[in-house]
Amino acid sequence: MAFPNVRLSNRPLHFIYLCDCSGSMAAQGKMQALNQAIRQSLPGMAEVARENPEARVLVRAVRFADQAAWHLAEPTPVQQLQWRDLEAGGITAMGDALNLVAEALQSPPMEERALPPVLVLISDGQPTDDFEAGLANLMRRPWAQKAVRLAIAMGHDADLEVLQQFIGPEPSGRSKSPRRPLQASNATTLAQYIQWASTAVVGAASMPASRVAPAGEPSPESSSNIHLPDLPPTLLDPSDDVGPLVW
Amino acid sequence: MKWLLPEGSNLQFEGLEQPLLIEQGLGGGSQGQVYAVKLAGERLALKWYFPACIARDPQLRSRLQQSIRLGAPNADFLWPLAVLSASADSQGGIQGPQPGFGYLMGLRPGGFVGAHQHAGGELEISLQSVLRACFHLAEAFHQLHLKGLCYKDISLGNLFLEPSGGRILICDNDNVDIDGQGQGSVLGTPGFMAPEVLLGQAKPSSGSDLFSLAVLLFRLLTRHDPFRGQRELAIRCLDEPARRRLYGEEALFIFDPHNQANRPDPIEHSAALITWPIYPEALQRLFVQSFGPGLRNPEQRTLTGQWKQAISHCLDQRQLCSHCGQETFPNTEVPGSCWSCGTPLPAALQLQLPHGRVTAAAGNELHPHHFDPLLGEAIATPLARLVAHPSDPSLLGLQNLTSTTWHGSTRTGQRIELAPGKTCNLSALQQLNSSAGPILVLRP
Repeated sequence: MAFPNVRLSNRPLHFIYLCDCSGSMAAQGKMQALNQAIRQSLPGMAEVARENPEARVLVRAVRFADQAAWHLAEPTPVQQLQWRDLEAGGITAMGDALNLVAEALQSPPMEERALPPVLVLISDGQPTDDFEAGLANLMRRPWAQKAVRLAIAMGHDADLEVLQQFIGPEPSGRSKSPRRPLQASNATTLAQYIQWASTAVVGAASMPASRVAPAGEPSPESSSNIHLPDLPPTLLDPSDDVGPLVW
Repeated sequence: MKWLLPEGSNLQFEGLEQPLLIEQGLGGGSQGQVYAVKLAGERLALKWYFPACIARDPQLRSRLQQSIRLGAPNADFLWPLAVLSASADSQGGIQGPQPGFGYLMGLRPGGFVGAHQHAGGELEISLQSVLRACFHLAEAFHQLHLKGLCYKDISLGNLFLEPSGGRILICDNDNVDIDGQGQGSVLGTPGFMAPEVLLGQAKPSSGSDLFSLAVLLFRLLTRHDPFRGQRELAIRCLDEPARRRLYGEEALFIFDPHNQANRPDPIEHSAALITWPIYPEALQRLFVQSFGPGLRNPEQRTLTGQWKQAISHCLDQRQLCSHCGQETFPNTEVPGSCWSCGTPLPAALQLQLPHGRVTAAAGNELHPHHFDPLLGEAIATPLARLVAHPSDPSLLGLQNLTSTTWHGSTRTGQRIELAPGKTCNLSALQQLNSSAGPILVLRP
């Protein structure tokens, strides 16, 4: 005597980390900070997955240094994921990493029907291989075009231009936007951005959240196929302020 | 989670004489964070907004104050109780560049779970509890609309259920506004938004609430989505433009009687095909109405009062299959067969009341509206309940839930007395005079 054992049909949501593991990531504990940030974000990500009956959240990760390789090759349900530490050492084969993801996003192996994939590129430096060719190859895949592409710049040496190219056209205005590289200058901010990407963005890509229209303004995200959530209010970022306090 | 209000801290707020103890953070969303707090020994919840949310929604504070002034439509809403602004003393304790504000509300009691768990198939819940939750939902929005308000953002994400009894709680009441004022910034949640709002042709209103309510009721009753059928299968990437087509431009109800183009797929959408036939036609018709003519014309949407009436009738018709024990809701004139095992359903014993009939099945209840046609349907305070005998479940009885003694007679003419809390055996009963009116046993 119970509700029949059925559920809303769901679609896979592929979430792929592309992690810079070049030698410079060994400096100042950046590699450890990234490992910790991802590990710490998993319970929250699993919770969001549980709350989104429309999605099966599947995680993968690519590491790139002298070359790119799958660090987590199997699309893994986030509830079952145990993060293995990445290790730093080598140069920055970012273009190669994009080629790997391009292969993964063609159908098959991509399912015929899915939710928009989420790609998160994290880097602290400049690509040392043919980034342009890798990006062009990636963007030939319809699933890559549909994907939510986010980039996190670690430290001040990251190549913001390259990361912006990965994300897509730069939004107008100067305000902080998820369509710009997110600059994580310390471990706390990095953890907040990783958490945001793995929870708020996964939520937005799988089950739309309630929608707000700023009065009179056209939606700034109208060019995109997913409405991105607000960035987390980072304590150290003055751009969270509504305006400057003193001028 | 980084908490804007430090856990364990005592903070002063303007208008509060005593400091508020921030016990712990409960969760965070896109608008802000929710905390369990204690004020003068009373445990409450506090929602604290992100600065970006306040900046985007200039009417937020006045809307909350208005809701507080008007009061909650009924107890199913976790309604705002007081707006709290940081005081000069507390600003140092609050993280973030702006002091901001939030509001106090009741703390959600234990036993309630997010409605998404039901949609995701993770919940053990009876059909009766789901129908009761649907009734409470219709009733809650009935009361809200009667107050001249609209909610604007009805979705699975704002609803909590108590699986054992079907009680509900509606949270996130901070978009509620006077209907037709249209000043707030919220549009709703895609998948639940009325087509005219999704397509930017109208602002949220009580009319669009009725559409969202129908979607939510459908999703609770079927664990499926009213617009995901063949047309969803044609969509490879389910993104925003695809959702606009599916729920807006090309929306077509999966069970539209005149257009079969969006029927559920037997494999991908099996939930809908299994659950939809469970419900009586009178209830199905209300969905056909809301998602057919009501899709483009808000005036044609099923009203909250119609939902209440149809759902309470459905609860009255509940009958347990003698073979598999499953809950069924057959038409009392033509019972048909069990949707679950296919066994033909016998005509059931019924209770004739001055204003309605209730099938005799364990768990069914008699309510004041069954006796007085002037009372609106309400299921919160039953007068009597059908219960199985604790040691012999095949014996069905009627339990007096009122505080007065009822008198009646058996089939053999013997007079009986039914004290409060007592149960009489239905197989012997002929009629009862309850405090609300007569109850007559109708045998098939």
